[in-house]
Amino acid sequence: MNPLPIDDDALHAWVDGQLPAARRAEVDEMLARDPELAARAAAWRAQNTLLREGMDAWLEEPVPSRLVEAATRDNAQASQWRSWAAAAAILVVGVALGWSGRDMTLVRAGIPTTFAREAAFAHAIYTTDARRPVEVAASDTQGLVTWLTRRLGQPAHAPDLTSVGFELVGGRLLAGNEKPTALLMYENGAKQRLTLQWRKLAPGTEEAQFRYEVDNGVGVFYWIDDACAYALSGSLDRRQLLAVARVAYGQIVSPEAAVQAK
Amino acid sequence: MTASLPHADLVAAIPRLRRYARVLMGDSTRADDLVQDTLARAWEKRALWQAGTDLRAWLFTIMHNVFVNQRVLARRDARNVSLDDDEGGAGWQVPVAATQLTRIELIETMQSVGKLPVEQREVLILAAVEEMRYEEIAHVMGIPVGTVMSRLSRARDKLRRMTGEPTMQLKVVK
Repeated sequence: MNPLPIDDDALHAWVDGQLPAARRAEVDEMLARDPELAARAAAWRAQNTLLREGMDAWLEEPVPSRLVEAATRDNAQASQWRSWAAAAAILVVGVALGWSGRDMTLVRAGIPTTFAREAAFAHAIYTTDARRPVEVAASDTQGLVTWLTRRLGQPAHAPDLTSVGFELVGGRLLAGNEKPTALLMYENGAKQRLTLQWRKLAPGTEEAQFRYEVDNGVGVFYWIDDACAYALSGSLDRRQLLAVARVAYGQIVSPEAAVQAK
Repeated sequence: MTASLPHADLVAAIPRLRRYARVLMGDSTRADDLVQDTLARAWEKRALWQAGTDLRAWLFTIMHNVFVNQRVLARRDARNVSLDDDEGGAGWQVPVAATQLTRIELIETMQSVGKLPVEQREVLILAAVEEMRYEEIAHVMGIPVGTVMSRLSRARDKLRRMTGEPTMQLKVVK
């Protein structure tokens, strides 16, 4: 039985992942037999990868405040929105904390968790804040680390991510019902921002390997280590974010390597 | 109470709107003006927004229309000025400091895409980067799906000619 011939439309749909599974298999077969067609498809696919890589970086650029104002102008309710956003951030973190027991069950079952989603949400809220992205700036790293240590009830460290091009901007504490979440923000030369967030879990919580999720364009790597949940968020591509997550992880596991005060 | 738009979703959509605007304008300052006009238009048309539907598609449709209208007006006002003059300008620069993985192919592709006619690069970016379905793209741009497909073919083949054959083993530039 001969499969249907491959027209341009099918090849595009194959490249963009828009073909139904059965048709995809037919195209795969045709590509295996037709080197010229395969070269065309490979070139198009390479374009997709490069364009995504180049343009995903744009998403991390700081948003001008005039645009945030334009988005939230809702007549005279702009200031109300700001307090509402803050309340929402506190609420979702609180919900996440309250549900942390359930969270962990889901992590083990391999289901996307609220933790990663909330981390992405907090990332989106604070990295786009032009005026006050952090509560304590990196110029007072010692004060920041001391504060987070005291509020989280365990030693905090600010991983040094300069080896992967990211400098510490500062940090803040996200309030919750039971336990707070710490947030550190980093920025590179291209003004792309990352956040590292963590919170304490119940003692004895099982460790979990790196997991990856994308929420609203924000990529999140999250893991559990030593009864603590960590999330590294940013709009880098998966590979770049993983490289940063590895560096951060290494320094958290062996804190001597981290910058505690400079 | 009058209809309202979901603030948090709207704020969260800004980075994508800015990206789409930059693809259309090829210049980041004018792109942000387009985003601002689009958001203003979205508020004016908020009664037409149906909660629960795809906000990105709705905003993108508005942006496309604002862009097209402004282009028509600008052409009428200044017939001698080609809006395509500054395509391939500063807006297409690659954030080199972003990563040590910067590659020749990346820079070439980003610069070449800026040289495509705006209708073609718009389709290409919506499909390749925004990963929109072809029907959605047709809806956003107000054109038939067949036109989406033919523009996509032209964009991809043109880009391939401009950047040369991709070396399958991508070079890493230090």
